[in-house]
Amino acid sequence: MDTQLSGVGALAQLMDAAALRHRVLAQNVANVNTPGYTRREVAFEADLAKALAAPNGSAAAVKPTVTVDETAPDRADGNNVDIDREMGALTKNALLYQAAAQIVASRVASLRAAITGR
Amino acid sequence: MPFDTLFGASAISGTGMSAERYRMEVIANNIANANSTRSANGGPYRRQDVVFAELLGEATRTTTAPVLGGVQAVELVEDQSELPRVYSPGHPDADAEGFVRMPNVQLPLEMVSLLTAARAYEANLRAAQTFRQMSEQALNLLRS
Repeated sequence: MDTQLSGVGALAQLMDAAALRHRVLAQNVANVNTPGYTRREVAFEADLAKALAAPNGSAAAVKPTVTVDETAPDRADGNNVDIDREMGALTKNALLYQAAAQIVASRVASLRAAITGR
Repeated sequence: MPFDTLFGASAISGTGMSAERYRMEVIANNIANANSTRSANGGPYRRQDVVFAELLGEATRTTTAPVLGGVQAVELVEDQSELPRVYSPGHPDADAEGFVRMPNVQLPLEMVSLLTAARAYEANLRAAQTFRQMSEQALNLLRS
């Protein structure tokens, strides 16, 4: 019997990536007044989508990567953190994390219902 | 995810908050000493400024999951800009011509810096609150 809950592995990966992204965004927010700081970001979803779409790609191997974002415009002090953008990204990321957590919870609840028969 | 980085996000936001709080303290000190003509190293008070630096763990730039440490106030520097001279012959610190050298603290500048520091503090606080919500959500998985 296959006890693997469908999709829960990918959801757990997504939650891991969201937790890492929260740390990276918190780092950006903490360094909003550090001269010369360059903001960082986490790339994950596009890689995961590519792996899931591939005919025999394994989604489990996809890891989130932290990249330095040089594209954002620099301020006068060489820092390119935009606080509004970071806070927006922080909220969005938290919602993504909560969505993934709730889907996992509902999958587990379904499995429990199947086990107990109630 | 290793356990020691599990709650790293609140530590990062914590360093941000303490650094901004320190900056607010320094600014408050500048405002308080806006008229001090004597200081510990002789002469009038000079306005102070904090220098922030990013705090990183070992070998961060090469690994995919860097150890993020937040921010740190590394240095306290004195503003070496010119001290304004004010004519006040009766003042005990006045020179032979009756001029007193006053601190180079400019109140509008300090107020704006104070506001920036307070806003940055709030942003860090919000990041910490968001992290708490996320953690609660994850812990709820155990409960259902």
